[in-house]
Amino acid sequence: MPPLHIGLLGAGGIARAHLPGWLALGARVGVHTQDGSAEKLASEYAELGHDVTAVPTLDDLLADCRAVDICTPTPTHKELALAAVAAGKHVVCEKPLALTVPDAQEIAAAADAAGVRLHPAHVVRYFPAYASMRDTVVRGELGPLAVLRFTRGGARPQWAPWFGDPDQSGGVIMDLMVHDIDIARWVAGDVVRVHARTRGSERATGAPADVVTATAVLTHASGAISHVSGLWGLPDQQFRTTFRIAGADGLLRHDSTAVPGFRITAQGVRAANEGIPSSPMTESPYLTELREFAASWDDGSVRPRVSAYDGIEAVRIARAAVESSRTGRAVELQPSGTEIEEVVR
Amino acid sequence: MKVAVLSFAHVHAAAYLALLRDMPGVEVLGSDPDTEGAAPGETRGRAFAEEHGVPYADTYEDAFAWRPDAVIVCSENARHRPLVERAAAHGADVLCEKPLATTVADGEAMVAACRAAGVRLAVAFPVRFSPAYAAVKRAVAAGETGRVLTVSGANNGHMPTRARRWFADPELAGGGALMDHTVHIADLLDDLFGARAVEVYAQTNNLLYADEVAAETSGLVTVVYDNGAVATIDCSWSHPRSHPAWGGLELTLVGEHATLEMDAFDQKLHGHSERHGRPLEIPFGVDLDARMLRAFLFGPAPDGMDVADGEGGLRTLRVVAAGYESARTGAPVPVT
Repeated sequence: MPPLHIGLLGAGGIARAHLPGWLALGARVGVHTQDGSAEKLASEYAELGHDVTAVPTLDDLLADCRAVDICTPTPTHKELALAAVAAGKHVVCEKPLALTVPDAQEIAAAADAAGVRLHPAHVVRYFPAYASMRDTVVRGELGPLAVLRFTRGGARPQWAPWFGDPDQSGGVIMDLMVHDIDIARWVAGDVVRVHARTRGSERATGAPADVVTATAVLTHASGAISHVSGLWGLPDQQFRTTFRIAGADGLLRHDSTAVPGFRITAQGVRAANEGIPSSPMTESPYLTELREFAASWDDGSVRPRVSAYDGIEAVRIARAAVESSRTGRAVELQPSGTEIEEVVR
Repeated sequence: MKVAVLSFAHVHAAAYLALLRDMPGVEVLGSDPDTEGAAPGETRGRAFAEEHGVPYADTYEDAFAWRPDAVIVCSENARHRPLVERAAAHGADVLCEKPLATTVADGEAMVAACRAAGVRLAVAFPVRFSPAYAAVKRAVAAGETGRVLTVSGANNGHMPTRARRWFADPELAGGGALMDHTVHIADLLDDLFGARAVEVYAQTNNLLYADEVAAETSGLVTVVYDNGAVATIDCSWSHPRSHPAWGGLELTLVGEHATLEMDAFDQKLHGHSERHGRPLEIPFGVDLDARMLRAFLFGPAPDGMDVADGEGGLRTLRVVAAGYESARTGAPVPVT
């Protein structure tokens, strides 16, 4: 494989989760941001001896990389992705791919036309518990699936104010629940009906007790039903995800806080709540994801487990949930059907 | 105090007979004449009473002639109404198995009959006697949670048809899992909120046990209350039948100022049985049925918890009825 040279856009929480993954793959990484934070991130890593440099402009970044990693706030995804695609770069883009289905489709179509890979970063597919669960389902161990439950919750993200603005983040459904919406569809197939409700302060006021939570019921084309709930909670809400998958032949359950493998039980002071989950027990799921993405650039037979189409469908279902939550009605969905055939160089 | 258990159709009849048999100050009599709906192999009638060491009456007429102070109605859901009406006519207080009835019309008639006769109508919702629920209720009542935003509840059990086939017979049960398992959590929220359910959205399927029963075996029910709270209840019979436990009941409640979780049945030792080749679970929590029966017969528990009344049972039945309508139409349905 030619040397990995990555253009990283953004230097926030998720960029900091991706960067070690790229470095583990032996990448040289240029970072660009518009607020000066790229310099800070680059110098932090450069001091540790890594090949990470701040790049002053987007054009400079695009002129000198093989792939672009978009870790910026959601409203900027489309413009940046289209620019990267136009420059002939492969793109990995944080979830949600875009705030609307047409925007997500436009990005995917542009990548398709340019013959570059587009990888919506639905990283939960790379978390070992979720990957094992899906493997078990695909093996048929549980029989036909009937009823699934997913929960995801933690402290409300305070490190970047745009999360608290539903016009920018899409709110708790688009930004947080979209993870489990994607997993529900990955595991139980296309979704034909969505009903959702949101409660609490969707728009953050800055008050510490600024809770927002949403609940959605997805009806899959197979008849299976999924309950997905998401919570941006109080400052001390421990980050936790759970699932329970029931099929005709068996049941699988997972609680991320029940099987840490390693935990600190006392350290004299109360620990800060982590924003991005990590585990010392397995390889970083971000690294697994980026490796799979990079491996697909030069080998057409490598199909990452997330396709551009998956990213569009996650946006479509999440949008429907937002719409249902706004109107109080159930929303009927027509899955767009065939997967866009990606052209591989 | 004389207590008659009328019908042994419901799986809870066994526990009630045993508890009443051993309860000081209580005389118990069982009667179970209508057993034509039972599947081959189901122990019913006199044999069931003898198994539990309880005296038996061959007919309900004989049971009422014994002049019970109270009766516990454990017939199939669709057969609650005639027994409740007979009890009312005989002036006996009634504890009726859940759900109160299979139709709102039957439920209304039962409430009216008991009110007219001046007898008490209670509905068997034991989970409200759980110390875990009491703690949730205290926290909400004290304002520790602030306004309740959402509740996620799951009342999953194994499909009960091996013990009693009628549970999945829509004629006798009124439906399947949605009828059987929505009401426990709906009752807790009825008690907790003191607010009315205004809208229900439900989706169901019968992908579990598809070859065995026609009734729905899975369901997700979203209920909106007039205090603004939203609850989603998983009522599925999705607990494997070979599992050592029957199932459970869990709630997560998100309030503005606190997030709470309760599990009404997780007071258990966990191990593994080499003898049976499967996991071993040994429950050590309080007996909720016993607390419920004592409250029904002798007055509220020390923490003030009383049995659900007929009106409460009717409110939860309206939630279920709206749920069936919603599952049929695919749209949210107002609760009437």
